[in-house]
Amino acid sequence: MFKNHIKIAWRNLLKNKSSFFLNCGGLAIGMASCILIAIYVWDELSYDRFYDNADNIARVVLRGNVNGEELKEAVVAAPIAKTFKEDLPQVKDATRLSKVYNPVIRYNNTSFENIKAAYVDPNFFDVFDLKFLKGDTKSPFENPNSVVLTSSEAKKYFGNENPIGKRITIPELEVDLEVTAILQDMPHNTHLQMDVFIPMHHNERANSNLWVTSGFATYLLLEPEIQLSAVENQIPALMKKYMGEQVQQAIGISYEEFQKNNNIGLFLQPLTAIHLHSDFAPNTEISASGDIKYVYIFSAIAIFMLLIACINFMNLATATATKRSREVGIRKVLGSAKKQLITQFLTESFMTTLFAILLAVGLIALVLPYFNSLAEKELKLLNLVSLKSVLLLLCFVVLVSLFSGAYPAFVLSSFKPLLAIKNKISASGKRNNLRSGMVVFQFVISASLILATIVVDKQMQFIQHKKLGYDKEQVIVLRDAYKMGSTKVQSYKKELLKNPNIASVSQSAYVPAGETDDHLRGIFKNNEYLRKFFFYDVDEDYIATLGLELIEGRNFSSELKNEANKAIINEEAAKILDLSDHPIGKTFKRAADPENEEFTVIGVIKNFHFKSLHHEIDPLVLAYNPYGGLILKTKNANIATVLNFAEDKWSNFNENEDFSYSFLDEAFSQTYSKEQQMGTILSIFTLLTIFVACLGLFGLITFATEQRFKEIGIRKVLGANVSEIVGMLAKDFIKLIFIAFLIAFPMGYYFMHQWLQDFAYRINLNVWQFLMAAIITLAIALITISFKSIKAALRNPVKSLRTE
Amino acid sequence: MLLSLDHIYKWVTTGGRRTFLLNDLSLKVEEGEFISIMGPSGSGKSTLLNVIGMLDGFQEGAYKFMDETIHHMKEKHRSKLYKEYIGFVFQQYHLIDELTVYENIETPLLYKKVKSSERKALVGDMLDRFNIVGKQDLFPNQLSGGQQQLIGIARALISKPKLILADEPTGNLNSKQSDEIMQLFKQLNEEDGVTIIQATHAESNAAYASRIINLLDGSITKT
Repeated sequence: MFKNHIKIAWRNLLKNKSSFFLNCGGLAIGMASCILIAIYVWDELSYDRFYDNADNIARVVLRGNVNGEELKEAVVAAPIAKTFKEDLPQVKDATRLSKVYNPVIRYNNTSFENIKAAYVDPNFFDVFDLKFLKGDTKSPFENPNSVVLTSSEAKKYFGNENPIGKRITIPELEVDLEVTAILQDMPHNTHLQMDVFIPMHHNERANSNLWVTSGFATYLLLEPEIQLSAVENQIPALMKKYMGEQVQQAIGISYEEFQKNNNIGLFLQPLTAIHLHSDFAPNTEISASGDIKYVYIFSAIAIFMLLIACINFMNLATATATKRSREVGIRKVLGSAKKQLITQFLTESFMTTLFAILLAVGLIALVLPYFNSLAEKELKLLNLVSLKSVLLLLCFVVLVSLFSGAYPAFVLSSFKPLLAIKNKISASGKRNNLRSGMVVFQFVISASLILATIVVDKQMQFIQHKKLGYDKEQVIVLRDAYKMGSTKVQSYKKELLKNPNIASVSQSAYVPAGETDDHLRGIFKNNEYLRKFFFYDVDEDYIATLGLELIEGRNFSSELKNEANKAIINEEAAKILDLSDHPIGKTFKRAADPENEEFTVIGVIKNFHFKSLHHEIDPLVLAYNPYGGLILKTKNANIATVLNFAEDKWSNFNENEDFSYSFLDEAFSQTYSKEQQMGTILSIFTLLTIFVACLGLFGLITFATEQRFKEIGIRKVLGANVSEIVGMLAKDFIKLIFIAFLIAFPMGYYFMHQWLQDFAYRINLNVWQFLMAAIITLAIALITISFKSIKAALRNPVKSLRTE
Repeated sequence: MLLSLDHIYKWVTTGGRRTFLLNDLSLKVEEGEFISIMGPSGSGKSTLLNVIGMLDGFQEGAYKFMDETIHHMKEKHRSKLYKEYIGFVFQQYHLIDELTVYENIETPLLYKKVKSSERKALVGDMLDRFNIVGKQDLFPNQLSGGQQQLIGIARALISKPKLILADEPTGNLNSKQSDEIMQLFKQLNEEDGVTIIQATHAESNAAYASRIINLLDGSITKT
């Protein structure tokens, strides 16, 4: 019986090749997208879940508001780990990690850079059960001067030699470190992306008992089944107990008074939530995090695509039911039970789906590399092949074929035999309404996606062309120049300025986009704490090089020897300092140890976007303290010749380091890579979704023209021309598409409005974007429709009339 | 007695008025009869056959098939009954285009869940008997009308029905083919004892039967 079903299914597929390919192609694209996205989502959700204690680990984070400045930090003060462990009964253990900034490691006279290194507490590996490969796996940090490396990091330094017992040098530390254990490489799906682990006591701030500074990622291992909120509730009391005095000392007011205006709190974040649910300042995070929003967006797209493909199948199957009705009738008369017919039709949908999944797997194999580079993942098809995944895939096939085949099977098998055999089953009526509803649904999704693509694109353009207050074009950043040492940098700068194509050169480690130093310090005015300001250490050429606009006062000058405590502030800082009338000559203090430093304002610059457009412009102070690499502004010259020149001169000053550079404008676009990436993925899936929806539309219009074959003939004989016929055929579908707009656009407005809230500087949604989305959707639909209907309209009417 | 229809009324309501398709129709059929139903178009021949074949219902009256009361039966039960005892032959043959001759004949056995080996034997016998072994792998559209109807009858016979209902079985055939089919019916009736009820226009075909029923406006005029 089953063999017979398969045979029939196979012959039917062969007979209706076009609808088979429409179905199969649509399903394949839908399933491939769905699987790819599922892999991506699965990977995103898997972060940090593989630790044995994953469910009982929480990170301590800081949230608060200080004089209007929002604080969101993933690192906290040094003593918190110890205090929490001692004072909170639910905390079984606590461990800390603090990043080593720009570490250099030397071994055998070779220097290694770009290293991910961290100081960790000795119990770090008890809390996080990372796998050791070799060495002292029990207590790797018994020796105070030990270091733990991942295996590929060890390979980098020592090649194939046995790393255990080797000594490496880290210039900041006074002693050499001995490798005592080798870890398996960090899985990609953990936020703890570190390769070198140094005992915490080497970090001099680790033993500080100051609660008002921070810098330590702190993880608590909680007793099982503990509610985070139960622990969190006890924190305010602890904070008051330990911070009170320190706050009083640091800023001169009582803790209660401070909290009244400011509201700072420590909170717990589950380990498994770190990757997707973090909104902390990026410089406080150990590694770049994902975003749950994109997980939701992509999951939604995956489900919608699959739905659209399934709907195609249902629509085509029920629409062409009339073709099959005679067969159904005969089979019923020959004694088939309804159940048997249902299985027969389900077999057909199963086979179509099976073909589709094979096609889909092929598609995935083909596009996986591109997908990886887009989503910044390293997924491999071979790694995904397992019994489990094959079984999952089969389940998926069964589910999809049931979902898309059940309704048609039910409809077809419930035909009354007598009517069916006489081909009296009409494709109209209730079923037609349902079909229309599904077409509407497909176009709601399509139109919404088109709208989203347009809005994302417009916002990206807006960012690219937004007046930033500084000049990002033709600016070259030689960040690594600092490595040649301060005096050499000065000489190098002078050399560079000899080139007529270079307009100006500034020495500073601070740039508004790309890799930059970052410096936030507390500000006092009249001995009262205000909030944190950004500090940029610059030289006298900074303003000219970046094309900033000095609106009041003067620039720094290298001739005047006493520029150290002078400040040029931006308008925002002036506003917050309340210096709007006569800012020049006014003073404020910067938090420092042991005594706050006083700064005198000598100039005010116009606000410029020194951080990404996601944020409002923060208060900024330019201070005179030339250090770091160089920033070059070129005249309208060939960049390549300038670069050649700079590289040429570079080698005179620094033989060891290779010449490296970056362009400010490129770094700027990089800042929005997440949105760019989302935009690209969105447009690709939009394209695919529309394509699949159009496949369905194509199928339906094919069917409609077949069904109205005779009507078209009669109308032509009566004098209708081609455009009238096409119009007649298209009318029904166009109507549905307009209904789709009515649903899609309010929905699209809501969601895109939400998305735009992420940007402090954003476009407004306007009618044109919606109009454009409507026109594009309509145009695509019309092209699809006319493809078939024009052909039908051009047919010789005699042919259609002769068939009777 | 194979079946009996007792005061059957069947109507459709159009524009508030009843149009009778079967009007107070009573009929008794004994096992082994060969009956021709005659009458002009629209006299109710097909309707009567469909009612007998349980493909169609009726509004009033009683229908007994092999001593079972049909009109109160559930659909499922009813279809089991006709699956078991009735074979259908159609004017348009109604072969399944996607299946070969062999498979078309085999289909009713599949639905009766006959075992594979037995199926092979039964279909083989049938092909032999109708002399169509050479055509078993052809598809219906590769055959002439007469050959297609032959397959249709073979298919109707394969499940060894007690009753064959044939609605204008020769309506699409020429006279020579027509005669062959009628001969076959007669032979089936006489040699195998199959009860046959056929609806037909043609006097010549009707003559093969042992009894002729004339139908007019849904009623039997004379027996």
